Amino acid sequence: MSVVTLEAPAKEKELLISGCAAIAQALRLASIDVVTAYPIRPYDTVMQAVAKLIANGELDAEYIVASSEHDQFEIVKHASAVGARTFCGSSGVGWMYAMEALAVTPALRLPLLALVGNRALDDPGAFGCEHNDALAVRDLGWMLTWVDTAQEALDTALICYRVAEDPRIFLPCAIGADGAFLTHSEALVKVPSQEQVDRFLPKYDRGDKQLHPDNPITVAPQANEDWVMEIRKQNDEAMRRAHDVIQEAYRDYHRIFGRRGENPFVETYMTEDADIILFGQGTLSLPVKVGVRKLREQGHKVGFVRLKWLRPFPTLEVQEALAGAKAVGVIDRDYSFGAPNHGAVLYTELRSALFDLAQRPAVVSFICGLGGREVTLDSVTEMSEVLLKVARTGRVDQPNYWIGVRG
Amino acid sequence: MATELTVLPTQNLIPFKGVKKVTTEEYFTSGHRTCQGCESALVMKLMAKAAGPRTVILGSTGCMYVANTTYYSTSWVVPWMHTQLGASGSAAVGTAAGLKALMRKGRIKEEPINVIAFCGDGGGADMGLSSISAALTYPEYNFLILMYDNESYANTDIQLSSMTPYGANTTFSPPGKARRLLHKRWKKNVAGMLAAGHPECRYVATVDASYALQMMNRVRKALSIGGPTFIHSLDPCPKGWDYDPMLSHELGELAVETGVWPLFEVENGVLSFYGKSKGIAAGAPRKPVREYLLKQGRFAHFTDDDIAYFQGKIDDMWQRWLLPGIAPFRLAGEIRKALAASEAEGNGHE
Amino acid sequence: MTGSIEVVYRGIFQKHLGQRITRGIVLAARQEGKVGISFGRYGDSPERNGIPAKSFAVVADSEEELQAHLARYEPTDNDVTVAVDDTLCKGVESWAWYGLQPINKLTRDGGTVLVTSMQSPEALLRDCHRKGAAWNLAIVKGLASFSGLWVYKDDHTDVRVLGAIARLAPKVVGLQAVKAAIRAEWGDESKVASAQLGHDRVESRPVGPDDGNAERPYEFKLLKWQEMREGLVIPGIPVRQEVEGWDGGYRPGRNPTFKKFSTRTMRPVVDFETCTKCTVCWLQCPDSCFDVTPTGHYDANMEACCGCGVCEAVCPVTNCITMVNEQAFADNGSQFEAHQKDPAKYKAWLLEKIQDKATTHRSHGFRYRGQYEDELADSGVEETAKSGD
Repeated sequence: MSVVTLEAPAKEKELLISGCAAIAQALRLASIDVVTAYPIRPYDTVMQAVAKLIANGELDAEYIVASSEHDQFEIVKHASAVGARTFCGSSGVGWMYAMEALAVTPALRLPLLALVGNRALDDPGAFGCEHNDALAVRDLGWMLTWVDTAQEALDTALICYRVAEDPRIFLPCAIGADGAFLTHSEALVKVPSQEQVDRFLPKYDRGDKQLHPDNPITVAPQANEDWVMEIRKQNDEAMRRAHDVIQEAYRDYHRIFGRRGENPFVETYMTEDADIILFGQGTLSLPVKVGVRKLREQGHKVGFVRLKWLRPFPTLEVQEALAGAKAVGVIDRDYSFGAPNHGAVLYTELRSALFDLAQRPAVVSFICGLGGREVTLDSVTEMSEVLLKVARTGRVDQPNYWIGVRG
Repeated sequence: MATELTVLPTQNLIPFKGVKKVTTEEYFTSGHRTCQGCESALVMKLMAKAAGPRTVILGSTGCMYVANTTYYSTSWVVPWMHTQLGASGSAAVGTAAGLKALMRKGRIKEEPINVIAFCGDGGGADMGLSSISAALTYPEYNFLILMYDNESYANTDIQLSSMTPYGANTTFSPPGKARRLLHKRWKKNVAGMLAAGHPECRYVATVDASYALQMMNRVRKALSIGGPTFIHSLDPCPKGWDYDPMLSHELGELAVETGVWPLFEVENGVLSFYGKSKGIAAGAPRKPVREYLLKQGRFAHFTDDDIAYFQGKIDDMWQRWLLPGIAPFRLAGEIRKALAASEAEGNGHE
Repeated sequence: MTGSIEVVYRGIFQKHLGQRITRGIVLAARQEGKVGISFGRYGDSPERNGIPAKSFAVVADSEEELQAHLARYEPTDNDVTVAVDDTLCKGVESWAWYGLQPINKLTRDGGTVLVTSMQSPEALLRDCHRKGAAWNLAIVKGLASFSGLWVYKDDHTDVRVLGAIARLAPKVVGLQAVKAAIRAEWGDESKVASAQLGHDRVESRPVGPDDGNAERPYEFKLLKWQEMREGLVIPGIPVRQEVEGWDGGYRPGRNPTFKKFSTRTMRPVVDFETCTKCTVCWLQCPDSCFDVTPTGHYDANMEACCGCGVCEAVCPVTNCITMVNEQAFADNGSQFEAHQKDPAKYKAWLLEKIQDKATTHRSHGFRYRGQYEDELADSGVEETAKSGD
């Protein structure tokens, strides 16, 4: 890898703000044009923050309070089609209410940025963190990324605009941010300067797809079996290109802002000589890292890999990060009832990604932290003990465990 | 005038002063896979003609999407984009908001661009009603939402909607041996409820493409007046209503002449009836609904009692409602007295 | 053994008729111990009034043989193609096919196109495109049977066609089986008798590979994914087309891939001399088919007109616009051009067209309750709608 020359650090400021407010700062710096708001916890703190920015003249954007999530996402979809940079978001069943709009946005090649404040689908009524909401679009052409700190949320939002609006891509992108832990906790965040962002993020230019009287086009005519496969193939190609465009964007970000110089797709923590590795996404990384350090102190060779991008799934990077382990434990903060081995989404995806390796680690499924239940140190210990046994015996006697459930 | 409201200028679309003054150009043209005699297609043509070339149109799912852009082709001359079945309100708001932001920030040239979002009765009166209602409350955006009402979900091969007339034959309400009328709901007054319920909305109207000049001029008014606006058109449908397509124009006229379809507009808070409905509102006789109903196969199973019932409802609307087509109630005694007293003191309406 | 029957019909007007025929084939085949399926071509749905649509019946001796035809939209080698409106012989703008599809395109080599018509085979062969392989043309005499979605005109066209098919393709389905199926489905002996008449009276003649209309029907190729614009974007239609020799006037741009003229069963004939240029035909045409000539007249462009008849209904001048059956015309030439070239000749041609009773027949759907009963009372159901025998 070539040496990257860092540019002279410009004037950043440090604020004590929540993950939502951090994203709002990114939106301010990105000079978004249209944003639609609708209340549902825990994501909507971002919309409250945006409202303040607009009211105080720090952001010039159309702020539209919609009457439902379906309306929200339809409104920004159409604003994006005329060339406006847009932002939207939701949580849990709100995201589900928008599903019709979400389903068609990728085919229309509209670079929406959405914040999903991950929340359990209710009923059963709960506000706590669960990933099934955002995961519901993983097949449809959305890019999907999870962040675990407010800083990462801000940085990733800017990177997402850069990638999504790249004419080679033009796909919508959703940021998964764990409800409460990330959306609401106020942490120290470095907020870059406008001048830095202007060097990183070009204007959104829709080119000949822009809906405007000077460009008389028909967008989304009715297609049938003679056309749909070709249209889907175009989406497939765009998603294939996304990997390298993401890499480019992180390189540039690192050069201009000095951060995000690590692997864009996975964070590896103490994995170099690890016998067992835990694998997951989002803020569970924090207790897991604490647990990993404690186990290391006891002499166990434990590591952790945090998946940052679920779509496009970084197969090569994941293989590289995990190939050396004897056993991998996938922590799913989601469920997929009836999936192979009764695992869940990350487990199923990861096993598929590892299948081609000549030398494969054993893979165990852990369901943990649903509905906002904490992933505790005890849980990490429990999961590690399972993995250590698997590493020792070379056998997976039980493929799936529910960790931290009473009973 | 509210403070801090920033409303963009609109195009100055003066009414066509007669058929010879109508724009020649077509902005929705030939080559759509619609039924012969499709009045909804006529509405599209007249709407686009009335709006002119500096227009962006959003079309929600329905006949005017599937038939008009059949097999990955198009009949649209002006820019057009599909939107979801219940999303016409949102599409209008999003398009107008996007254009407004881009103009303000100097990224596109400042000019009044017409934004029109259309929906069928399925997408507008049923699924998308809340989205339209929301849209009509945003005073800072200029757009027209046009609901073309062929009184069924026509594109899915004719299922009933809340706009389907009482008793009509549809694939969800076939007359059968055990039950003759499966559909006993009465049509909602969508234009009326939207006019009554959105006091900041400056223009709501009903139209009928058989009166093409009047219809086009209402579209022009809606696009010129500023803010969000709504038009509801009644479209005879040869397929769903089951009649010889040659009768499309005549049925459009009969709908008005029988009083089934009131033509009215609410412009800056002033309600008036127009066309043949003006006379009817003033007491002129209406043609019997029988003349209208029995020209359509969808009512071929009607008994005389059904026709009498239908006639009675139309009579009620014109004779007993506070505002035909809009307010289906009478005033209680005390209110009537108070209003009369107020008028006597000279506080009456125009 | 497998056999398949294609029914090409006018959408909505003949939807129930088409379905009755294809279902009748399968039910009749069942009487012979075969299996089968009956289906409309999915892409035609939702059907539109007048726009050509298709339904199919596929029968086979065994479920396994039947499988080759399942989960498909269109069988491509039909033993019989039935056209229940003879103007369909001019070709159909088919779903999932940019362009004009000849009526005999999906008829197998050596198969038969069966048409309900009052025309002679020679007249029909002026319309049917050359196939490049031998085929047969059969006629069941009768006018096109039109009704609509809710009220059906039971004029026995369905069973006469079934009887005719039993004669033309007895391996697919035999007459006794057809009769048994009619009895089981409808319990109506008069329909059985009509099937017999259809069987006995159908006339068939062979057609050579180079016989028929030599014109090359228009078509387009589909694009590869790399050639398609991204983002579901296609270009809009230009607002106007230039017309050679016109100074002024206006011809709108039109969708080049779906012209809609194959929807016509009749076309308007315009008298430019009595026209008062009131604009109403042009204004009320849902299909924007009228070109505005440099003289300010309105010329129904025959590439775009779909034959709805609204123009005749709204024209205030008697006999200025008259709908005439499409079979009376051989091409899509401009009437205004013909009038400009030789007004007297055009007038004579016009009068001949609109006065000829045979060609002014229109079957176009429901007008009043009891209409179909009146029509059948006039014609008698055994003959089914003015068969002319």
